[in-house]
Amino acid sequence: MSVNAAVGTRELMAVSLARLLRNGETVFHGVASPLPMVAILLAKAMHAPDLVYLNITGSIDPKPSHLPTSTVDPRLLEGTRGMVTLTELFDLAARERLDTAFLSGVQIDGAGRINMSVIGEFAHPKVRLPGGAGSAALMPRARRTIIWRTKHDSRVFVDKLDFVTAEGNVDRVVTPLCIFIRREGRLQVESMHPGVTPEQLRTATGFAVSVDESTPQTAPPRERELELLARIDPDGVSFSEF
Amino acid sequence: MRAKLISLSEAIGEVGNGTRIALGGNTIHRGPSAAVHELIRQGKSDLELVKTAGAYDIDLLIGAGCASSVSAGFIGFETLYGMAPSYRRQIERGVVQSKEHACYTVIAGLRAAIQGVPFMPIAGMFGSDLLDARGFKTIQDPYSGDSVVAIPALIPDFAIIHVQEADFAGNARIVGTRFEDVLMAQAAKRVIVTAERIIDGVSFEEHPEIVAIPGFMVEMVVEARNGAWPCSCAGEYDYDSAFLGEYVAASKDEAKLHEFIHERILARELSVV
Repeated sequence: MSVNAAVGTRELMAVSLARLLRNGETVFHGVASPLPMVAILLAKAMHAPDLVYLNITGSIDPKPSHLPTSTVDPRLLEGTRGMVTLTELFDLAARERLDTAFLSGVQIDGAGRINMSVIGEFAHPKVRLPGGAGSAALMPRARRTIIWRTKHDSRVFVDKLDFVTAEGNVDRVVTPLCIFIRREGRLQVESMHPGVTPEQLRTATGFAVSVDESTPQTAPPRERELELLARIDPDGVSFSEF
Repeated sequence: MRAKLISLSEAIGEVGNGTRIALGGNTIHRGPSAAVHELIRQGKSDLELVKTAGAYDIDLLIGAGCASSVSAGFIGFETLYGMAPSYRRQIERGVVQSKEHACYTVIAGLRAAIQGVPFMPIAGMFGSDLLDARGFKTIQDPYSGDSVVAIPALIPDFAIIHVQEADFAGNARIVGTRFEDVLMAQAAKRVIVTAERIIDGVSFEEHPEIVAIPGFMVEMVVEARNGAWPCSCAGEYDYDSAFLGEYVAASKDEAKLHEFIHERILARELSVV
């Protein structure tokens, strides 16, 4: 990856995810989600102070003094003034009152569907993956899903999933190379990150993508965004995803 | 009436082989680890494990040969240590069956059990291959005619929950996140609570709402100081990062894991007691 050394992929992805969030919306992340955790806190510190931040600990708008690497850690209870249960969070999504859910996939296809279950057959897998956690229930019922994945190659972005763990209301997919937007049921490249070439993106993606020299470039992080990111995640817990 | 406060070995002695066990907590937080270690010490087998998101407890019980299936939404050590090695290995070998759930389907199954109904309709799930792979069926809404996914009742034989404080009657207080523990306790046929401290329940009278699980739903209470270790226990201690790292490394190799279980887990616990 040839994004300039001063702005790494982690910074670019965290800032890109944060920019997708809107003021006042309810946003949820689950287990194993350091980048969404950081992106949500960054959005709240920038343009979305009234965003409602929800997570599996049940805290609401926590103000953690030290970010945990486990995103179910009791540290995420710090500063909350109320609590909901995980059941209540799923219920919120089920009745279509959760605005945005962050989810990821080991494999992601051109329709934005995800596989977190198996490589090979379900009953006799070649690789047993961790499982989709709540994604099969959340993805069709959250108003939108933002997918993030810290690896972009043709084994991750595949033409055909080994198993469809979940499908649903995918809005964007943020990767180390680009941002996809889903239009008419298909992922399309909305912007390529600085330094990424159309050829590189085509080779790294297992489904057909339409990109050329005129494809927009992802706006690099601004000084202010990087400063806030450094303040929010001084220990770099979101590096654990890379 | 038999005293509810009993030893860990007596309580776990009640758990039969081939039973369905719901484990409280979530990933590496407030899991009932002391009870899990005792299940291994007593050589249990053929257990079905129920959890929404698990890590150390599920991987270890599988690695120790105690479990034959897992009903859960996610098993892994998040971005800390990645995939759960024994879970992965034994499912890929066909020794253990993965009954993969979306976390919400575990909750739906527990809720059906709690409400005494055979299944629970839930929103979502359409488009997921889990419907076919797991045999989750759709039914017709008798009012609108629409299709809805129906999750069968999930009735654990035992719920094993670790809490910060309990009294002699089994009233159990959970500090911080309750996860699915209260649902598990209500859905299960029998409930074992392990607690950091056994206290005089009179102190619950001022704020009874802090009791998450009332004692009349609890059959056995065990005092287990550091009973979540190496998982975290909110307000008490953090997870033991160094130990978990060593555990995951050992879990990648069966011979190393068996040595690790005997020398680092079972031997340590006996020396503490």
